[in-house]
Amino acid sequence: MNGTSAVAARATVRTARVALIGNPNTGKTTLFNALCGARARTSNYPGTTTSIRTGTLDRHDHIEVVDVPGLYDLHHNTPEMRVARGVLDAGGAVADLVVVALDASNLTRNLVLAAEVLAYKRPIVVALNMMDLARRRGLVLDANALALRLGVPVIPLVARDNDGIDRLRQGIAEAVARGVVAPVPADLPSGTASLEEITAWAERVSHNITAGTRRAGHDAWTERLDRLFTHPVAGMAAFVAIMCALFWALFTLAAVPMDLIEAVFGRFATLLEATLPPGPLRDLIANGIVGGIAGTIVFLPQICLLFFLISLLEDTGYLARAAFVMDGVLSRFGLPGHAFVPLLTSHACAIPGIMSARLIPDDRDRLATILVAPFMSCSARLPVYVLLISLLFADNPILAGIAFAGCYLLGASAGLFTAWVFKRTVLKGHSRPMVLELPSYRRPSITNALLTAKDQGVAFLRTAGTVIVAICIVMWWLSAYPKTGATPEADRLRAQAAASTSQEQTDTLLSEADALDARAGQAGSFAGQLGHAIQPVFSPLGFDWQLTVGVVTSFLAREVFVSTMSVLEGGVGGADDDGVVDRIRRMKRDDGGPVFTPSTAAAALIFFVLAMQCLPTLTVTRKETGSVKYAAMQLGYMSGLAYVAALVTYVVVRAAGVP
Amino acid sequence: MSRPPSKPVPLTDLRAGAQVRLHEACVDHECREWLRALGLTDASDLRLCKHGDPCIIEVRSTRIGLSKAVASRVFVLDGATAITP
Repeated sequence: MNGTSAVAARATVRTARVALIGNPNTGKTTLFNALCGARARTSNYPGTTTSIRTGTLDRHDHIEVVDVPGLYDLHHNTPEMRVARGVLDAGGAVADLVVVALDASNLTRNLVLAAEVLAYKRPIVVALNMMDLARRRGLVLDANALALRLGVPVIPLVARDNDGIDRLRQGIAEAVARGVVAPVPADLPSGTASLEEITAWAERVSHNITAGTRRAGHDAWTERLDRLFTHPVAGMAAFVAIMCALFWALFTLAAVPMDLIEAVFGRFATLLEATLPPGPLRDLIANGIVGGIAGTIVFLPQICLLFFLISLLEDTGYLARAAFVMDGVLSRFGLPGHAFVPLLTSHACAIPGIMSARLIPDDRDRLATILVAPFMSCSARLPVYVLLISLLFADNPILAGIAFAGCYLLGASAGLFTAWVFKRTVLKGHSRPMVLELPSYRRPSITNALLTAKDQGVAFLRTAGTVIVAICIVMWWLSAYPKTGATPEADRLRAQAAASTSQEQTDTLLSEADALDARAGQAGSFAGQLGHAIQPVFSPLGFDWQLTVGVVTSFLAREVFVSTMSVLEGGVGGADDDGVVDRIRRMKRDDGGPVFTPSTAAAALIFFVLAMQCLPTLTVTRKETGSVKYAAMQLGYMSGLAYVAALVTYVVVRAAGVP
Repeated sequence: MSRPPSKPVPLTDLRAGAQVRLHEACVDHECREWLRALGLTDASDLRLCKHGDPCIIEVRSTRIGLSKAVASRVFVLDGATAITP
């Protein structure tokens, strides 16, 4: 007796797995969030790149809920279907209970998936969601009748309003404890039945349990909005307006926390420098580690805010309409309409851009989008554009403006051209023409958006964050070591300073000496040595060793270019300083000629527009494509194209008689 | 009551509001399967909500947007509401 109860106790303590399955747009995410609260984590389903969310059922810690990505049926061989099969088929990580989420306002099609799940003969609970929408459409659904018809518990609810969630939680806990499989309805089509047979069954069931007739009023609004949002002119205008608002909000709102993060970390580094004893350890902590962490976290507000806004937009139902508007433009280059979010996002930063490519259903389309996303001019390129364009067109603001716009245009065109090339070569195959469900327009859920932002922020810190910190530390080390010590010329200046009677002259001489040492330090550092070694590769572009160091160190993260050049010139950091452009303009080669002639500056600009100079992006590409091959292809192709384009620019500009 | 069977016409030839039945979708296998998954199974009844690109149809309670390339290859029956080209 005692033995039996002990076994029973152990059995109840064992974690039970519950799989949540449903069609896309059935409010499944809202339902999952309502069931599990904020304690969910996102991970890739074992052996796939399909991400799933897992959480613990609130108030029932022994029940784990797995949110299976939305899918329409189990006939179709998609990544989502393979995950669903994994939790349904005995032999895999099979679920103890399956919760099927149904949209009450679109019951027939939702019942098709329910029928297929029933055929697996697993313990099942049905969550009949969106009862409010069904009511608004004039439909009266009898949940008890549906429960009798299907032979499983059916719980009507409105997940968005938290209505019925407690009952569902209770129902799940009871069903898990019971663990019995109810006999399937006698007329249920077999597992091998066609979609047509299953649909006919679903239509009969839906008809049996539904009273009332559909009202047209609700649909009139949908029709009107659809006509507007998918109109070739008005739809495009609405799209441009919405995207401008989105990016305006993104840059304006994210700027505040970004500035704050930079200020806080800057203070912290200064404090560390003041308190720790001087030496390599202090440099490593204050400049390498703290700098590295700040360099990572500074991207976080933009990423979280972007995903928050996209989640809101997706929830309203608008994104499906926008995909059609953009499909007309992007399909010419072999990209689907869905690619607009990743490509637009990449203008802020390619990392969230590539992460948001998960919205694209077709694998080849998704891959093509990921591969070309880093061509879009991200915000890290901005300071480089500012510097090089100022060197080129300092006296001509109109030409400078055109060059600026030209850089963005060149990046976007190169991306689209590359997509066109890839879709005809390495990613050859028939691309899927646009066919999409247009979900009902709804009020977006703030909770969903907050949880999405949190999940994506954590995912970013986990995948890219660690790498960015490591890069910053390595970068710092490469450019700081080996220490060269004071140069004889700097020593001479310091001696002069010591002998000088004027305080002003002393300060000038001392800062000149420091600048000379910094320059010598850069030249003698590992980064400087690397620059000298690699310079022959870049000499056809007119780059000397200093510019080569700038370009080579930028392969880890391109935003360091300005500060590297500034340090090489002999100044110490201060990229925002007005004088920095003039100082860099005056930089001399070892032979005395200027480092930046118009032709080298133009070649460098073209190189920076097109080159793949961001190790964190490559890491994310590898992670999202599941293969290092695509990251290598991205690096090789983009850098190769950048080199050739820069070479052509240099040769053409020189041929035109410009030095 | 019963009308003689009409000639199949593509969705692109219909005007908004037309109630028709799917005859044949002359698209590749993958696209056909995707349409079926969305609810456009063989011989489904559907309503054309919006003409043009994209074309929007409603099957049972599902609204589906189709690019013109697909809509022009989805043939439906019922001559009563079709536009004669």
